[in-house]
Amino acid sequence: MSNIIEFKNVSKTYDSGTHALNNCSLNIEKGEFVFIVGASGAGKSTFLKLIMHEETPSRGTIIVNGTNVSTLKRKKVPYLRRNMGIVFQDFRLIDKMTVYDNVAFAMRAIGARPSAVKKRVPYILNLVGLSHKAQNRPSELSGGEQQRVSLARALVNNPSIIIADEPTGNIDPEMSYEIIGLLSEINAQGTTILVVTHEHQLVRRFNKRVIEIEKGKVISDTKEPVITDEEVEFDDSKFELDPLPDDLAEAIEQAERAVEETPEEELSQSAPETTEETEEAVSDESEDKEAQQCE
Amino acid sequence: MRMTGFSYLIKEGFKNVWNNRIMSIASVCVLISCLVLTGSAVLFSMNVANLVDKVSDNNETTVYLKDEVSKVEAVYIGRDIEKLKNVTEAKYFPKEEALADFKSTLGDEVFDNMKNDNPLPDAFKVTMDDLSKYDSTVKQILKINGVDKITSQKELARKLASINDLVQVLSIAIVLALGVISLFIISNTIRATMHSRRFEISIMKSVGATDSFVRIPFVVEGMVIGLISAVLSTAALFFLYDLLMEIVTSLIHVATIPFSSVFWFVAGSFILAGLVIGALSGFISIRKYLKKEGNEILGW
Ligand SMILES: Nc1ncnc2c1ncn2[C@@H]1O[C@H](COP(=O)(O)OP(=O)(O)OP(=O)(O)O)[C@@H](O)[C@H]1O
Ligand SMILES: [Mg+2]
Repeated sequence: MSNIIEFKNVSKTYDSGTHALNNCSLNIEKGEFVFIVGASGAGKSTFLKLIMHEETPSRGTIIVNGTNVSTLKRKKVPYLRRNMGIVFQDFRLIDKMTVYDNVAFAMRAIGARPSAVKKRVPYILNLVGLSHKAQNRPSELSGGEQQRVSLARALVNNPSIIIADEPTGNIDPEMSYEIIGLLSEINAQGTTILVVTHEHQLVRRFNKRVIEIEKGKVISDTKEPVITDEEVEFDDSKFELDPLPDDLAEAIEQAERAVEETPEEELSQSAPETTEETEEAVSDESEDKEAQQCE
Repeated sequence: MRMTGFSYLIKEGFKNVWNNRIMSIASVCVLISCLVLTGSAVLFSMNVANLVDKVSDNNETTVYLKDEVSKVEAVYIGRDIEKLKNVTEAKYFPKEEALADFKSTLGDEVFDNMKNDNPLPDAFKVTMDDLSKYDSTVKQILKINGVDKITSQKELARKLASINDLVQVLSIAIVLALGVISLFIISNTIRATMHSRRFEISIMKSVGATDSFVRIPFVVEGMVIGLISAVLSTAALFFLYDLLMEIVTSLIHVATIPFSSVFWFVAGSFILAGLVIGALSGFISIRKYLKKEGNEILGW
């Protein structure tokens, strides 16, 4: 398996002088599901922002999808982001648009054809189980539903990486479980998932790779669930999760089945048709790659 | 480059104008005042230039005769004028002909109510050999019995030309000053729209919209404001033009340029100016947003 994200000795010092990341090196493979945990101010959001090119590293090299983003030209940044679906803690939905339009907006913003939008948006809304809310405003939805819309928007352009910064920070534990469950489903289709979270019990429920950052350094990186005896007791007494409510479990199952029943071809067909602009960029990028290899 | 989804962004631009209508109306008003003022100055200048041209084209001096002079007496006066050394020709120009001339340049209607009463005097159109001796020749003509007065076209042309110079300098100053003001006002309006849409801008950027895609709705917004202003300004100037021309005709009674013959010039330049100023405003205002990333756009 090839690496989709590579950090080589990356440091980030903000203009204010804060050392948010300190000589970080790590690889994330295509198709992995990674939790990123750590105390507040540890540098988790900075880590994600570096991947999205919202910030640039002070030192070191970051490679995403084979492209060196540390030296990426400003003009190429949009094309890098088309590979990523971003989910925010505060959902960031536009309330004067319907749920449908919020999702369609992400496609229109990169020049998708109206016919492609019409085909893809209902499919994605069905995937997150929100077809029946398509014409509602985000403010008419529950927190969990809003986050599912946000997830639908992140998914609609068929990204190879989903980046979620505390996607469950503003919703209750059951809804959180549901969102992570959905992300697992998407992961099962081959999409790489990065989730920053504070909720340790959530991390434990899903048996995934966990990267722990402390004071700008990766202090642990493991695929095994790290549960000491102490923590288990702590978990039992304080953070016991109720089993999933029936209707929720059913919704997830439905979504699962919908994905399974959709033939591979259709999945790729319903992805937004790339515009010439994108194609150009892709060829540009491959040129870049060649250039890199020559160096 | 094929731009799919272009029509969506253009629609968004129109929506911006509507959603931010109070500011849009304010910008349209300011831009109209700027365009109309500029247009008036230019048209005034064009009229004066036209007059100067006409006047300096003919090297004729008109010698008007007193009212009581009969047609027979006039023939003698004409001979007297032609006898003068510097005069090459003195052509009789009876008042009937003068009236017909006026009618053809100003239109029949103006004279409809004075068919039987011709207020114009008989005259001679005098051509001179050497214009440097103009003043002394005029003095000699004025000595002849029956001559009332002389209109010295050259003098008038000189005066008009100096007025025109002033108007032109003023026009350029007005164009520059008002251009900058319009640009400032429209970019403020667009900046207000952008502020209210910064959330959408941040999402567009996070899903990978190119700079030009983020920019288009705001450039379109500016151009729509510019276009609306241009159309309304053309209409406003159409009504203001007569008023303006009264000022010109109060300076000299010569036919002015009819609005119909400058209509396309006015409409065309207004639309071009409106679109350019509008698009430029959009470009200028979005620049600072395009450089920002993530939460900076939202001001967090
Ligand atoms: N734009 C910025 N300018 C200056 N300092 C910043 C900026 N963004 C973050 N920092 C600082 O960098 C450090 C790491 O911040 P970061 O947002 O990555 O933490 P985090 O792990 O995401 O924390 P939290 O869990 O609270 O979201 C913090 O000390 C923070 O104050
Ligand atoms: Mg954070």
